Amino acid sequence: MKVQPSGFIGEKRAALVKLRDALCDQFDYASILAEDTVGRYYRVSRHSVSVSEGENARGFVVKALDGGRYAEYSFSELEEESIPGVVAAVRALLAAEVRPEGLEANTYAPPQEEPTVFADATEYEQDPAALDDGAVLDRLTALRDKGLAMDGAVLDFVAQATWNRYTKLFLSRDKDMTQSVLYTTGAVAAAAMKDQQVKQSYLPCSGLGGMELLAKMEDNVAPCVQTALDLLHSEPMIPGEYECICSPETTGMIVHEAFGHGVEMDMFVKDRAQAPQYLDKYVASPLVTMHDGASSAAQTATYFFDDEGTAAHDTVIIDKGVLKRGISDLQSALILGTEPTGNGRRESFARKAYTRMTNTWFEPGQDKLEDMIASVKYGMYLECPSSGMEDPKNWGIQCMVNIAREIKDGKLTGRIFSPVVLTGYVPDLLKSISAMSDGTELSGSGFCGKGHKEWVKVSDGGPYIKARIRLG
Amino acid sequence: MEKIISALHELGVEQYVITEKHTDSLEAFYVKKNLDLTRRADTTVRTVRVFRPFEKDGAKMLGDSEATVRPGMSEEEIRTALAGAWYAAQFVANPWYPLPAGVKAPRRADNGGFGSRSLAESMKDVTEALFAEDTAQDVFLNSAEIFMRRIETRIVSSENADVSWEQVEVWGEYVCQCRTPQDVETYHQFCYREPSPEALRAEVRHALEMTKARARAVAAPKTGTYALVLDREQVGTLLSYYVDRSNSGMIYQKYSPFKLGDDAQGADIAGDRLTMGLKATAPYTDFGAPMGDRPLLENGVLRTIHGGARFGHYLGVEPTGNYRAVTVPVGTTPMDELTKEPCLHAVSFSDFQMDPLSGHFGGEIRLAFLHENGTVTPVTGGSVNGSILDGQGHMTFSKERFRSKDYDGPLAVRVEGVNVAGE
Repeated sequence: MKVQPSGFIGEKRAALVKLRDALCDQFDYASILAEDTVGRYYRVSRHSVSVSEGENARGFVVKALDGGRYAEYSFSELEEESIPGVVAAVRALLAAEVRPEGLEANTYAPPQEEPTVFADATEYEQDPAALDDGAVLDRLTALRDKGLAMDGAVLDFVAQATWNRYTKLFLSRDKDMTQSVLYTTGAVAAAAMKDQQVKQSYLPCSGLGGMELLAKMEDNVAPCVQTALDLLHSEPMIPGEYECICSPETTGMIVHEAFGHGVEMDMFVKDRAQAPQYLDKYVASPLVTMHDGASSAAQTATYFFDDEGTAAHDTVIIDKGVLKRGISDLQSALILGTEPTGNGRRESFARKAYTRMTNTWFEPGQDKLEDMIASVKYGMYLECPSSGMEDPKNWGIQCMVNIAREIKDGKLTGRIFSPVVLTGYVPDLLKSISAMSDGTELSGSGFCGKGHKEWVKVSDGGPYIKARIRLG
Repeated sequence: MEKIISALHELGVEQYVITEKHTDSLEAFYVKKNLDLTRRADTTVRTVRVFRPFEKDGAKMLGDSEATVRPGMSEEEIRTALAGAWYAAQFVANPWYPLPAGVKAPRRADNGGFGSRSLAESMKDVTEALFAEDTAQDVFLNSAEIFMRRIETRIVSSENADVSWEQVEVWGEYVCQCRTPQDVETYHQFCYREPSPEALRAEVRHALEMTKARARAVAAPKTGTYALVLDREQVGTLLSYYVDRSNSGMIYQKYSPFKLGDDAQGADIAGDRLTMGLKATAPYTDFGAPMGDRPLLENGVLRTIHGGARFGHYLGVEPTGNYRAVTVPVGTTPMDELTKEPCLHAVSFSDFQMDPLSGHFGGEIRLAFLHENGTVTPVTGGSVNGSILDGQGHMTFSKERFRSKDYDGPLAVRVEGVNVAGE
């Protein structure tokens, strides 16, 4: 079934068209993004139950260009009679004196847009809004009870699920685009305690669609509990460079944090990335082909057009080890003289658009996981990534994983190290990739920040990879 | 507000908290010294939390859920949203607890200095201070984002609360770049609730100096165990372990073993004993009750378990509201003594993190100074992987002070015996 568009945006459409026309009469360029996002979040743990709203945003943002300068105005309410007030607010913002003496302003030419009329929606099997809150909590409670019953050492077991549905309408002089998207995420987490230290494992799942995802969570309960129990016997990591096998989630974190942020082209504009110096050069093993794009996969960052009205792309960033291109929002493309790639995204209508990743992943290779592990003389199997931080300028890596499992003579020994920090120089790591498994998995349970803010939904992943990585 | 309360009464909701937040944000985005974009966000959000008492298996329960009432919603839409929350609350089977009483009080204006001026005037002054130190050719501000915000908050509850207050603040981030001898950058944030041009200029001066040092750093430290000195925001992040572990939710759910009167810092303390205070960052709690500063630790001993109404009631402690900011008295050791060799003084990380569950802290080193053999060498790369459970008995705090949005305390802390992975 197709996701139904928001009634609110439908009701406001006539006023928005009038506002668009009024803005276009006064300014060199103007666009409007209207957003209506609703969601629901469910969580059950040993001592707590909660139902709350998921992501939630309803409002509008106007972007206007006049005399070469851009300004944006985000607001919550719109009626036909308030249109002159919105236009006046935009006019006042363009004229506002916020710059002290000595600072200049960038100027832009208006973007050239192809006339486009578009409306579409993603699909789902089970409508979350039709599912009773009590029924969802019953299913999560059953998962929690199963997790808690598995071992007396389990301190807590959490089961959670969330769905989010949004409709966005983009209007400019030449574009009239509407999309409705629904995605769902879920996770189980187990905690166990020893000597004042709580060890936690976390297994997420996600998908473009509805609450059919809940069925996938059942299989994650037992491995999640087992991992938490294993972690009770973990040792501090012995620092060094190791031959590593990365799980698809860990590969995804490397793809996203270590390389993806470095090809966001608003960073090129600011001279904050090394990538422009490496275009058409080898930055990775010839085994590596990397994609990003809202249309490159069906996951939580899938959409039809971005928040600036650019159609979704499937961008091949690295082709067989060679860096081919970056990803871009509209304003950065205007400066760089490149084509925007459908990566202009906002946290919500109330925030600025930046170049942001969407679904970011490595293509699969031809190796079998068991052969990859068997090929390791001494090394680590890395899984359960927890966080990462970008460094586009210096191409440094910071990724944290919860578990490194020791591999000796091609076999897992059962010895575990935790927590583990991955560091190093991005091209060194990517060039060291010597094997890739024959399947790719994407996970979209997390959000991505730009620096330390501006959270947007993303997914990432890839195959199992074998690489040399510095661990600490 | 009246429409919401009326709809709640129609639904039979007797216990609720309504929070209304109006934000007017003026924003400026700079690339080098050029203004790239000016933004304004004028938004309102009303969140309604409903509480529903019921019985389950003979036990008294109090469920809750929330709905957002958005601008432009019709009365019918408001009723539907609230009914959805009221319906969901009956399935949220948490043991009953009393809701804290609120107070009624006149609106509190922000008298911190920003409050009396327009956002545009304040923005211009902050921008001037931010760029005032950007005068060199070799090291400069690469880009900056400045958010000047006026936030009006009102809380109304069924438990007698009706309070409102204004808060005006500036939050910003900037990136410094140095092109020689290698092209590098460093990232920085600032937040002030009153005009502080001299403090901002001093922070930018320091940031530019550190960026020049980063450009000279070429190698990672050698793998080993170090006396680690952390400074500025990293000290607050390290000490957030004690804030998180003394939270009533963490304690009730047994994620934290802390008890009032316990030696939270451990029994074997060879270094400085830790005293910390919780600092209120809003005048009222989420329930509209007055919120003030409280002692957290005194000489390592836990004095307050803090948190919301539910877990506070379960533990039998006063619900204090939620805290994130701390004050810490400065130590007695001057910086030059704190950094006496051998030690690794880490001033910048990719993302320094503290895990309150395991006590592990660490991150990738962007810039550190290695003090050994009579020299101070800037280093970069590698990572810190420490445990506060191992290090808390051997912490020494600086005599110098550092203030940021959520931390006011010693500029630096020295922790002995921390693992560093490097060359």
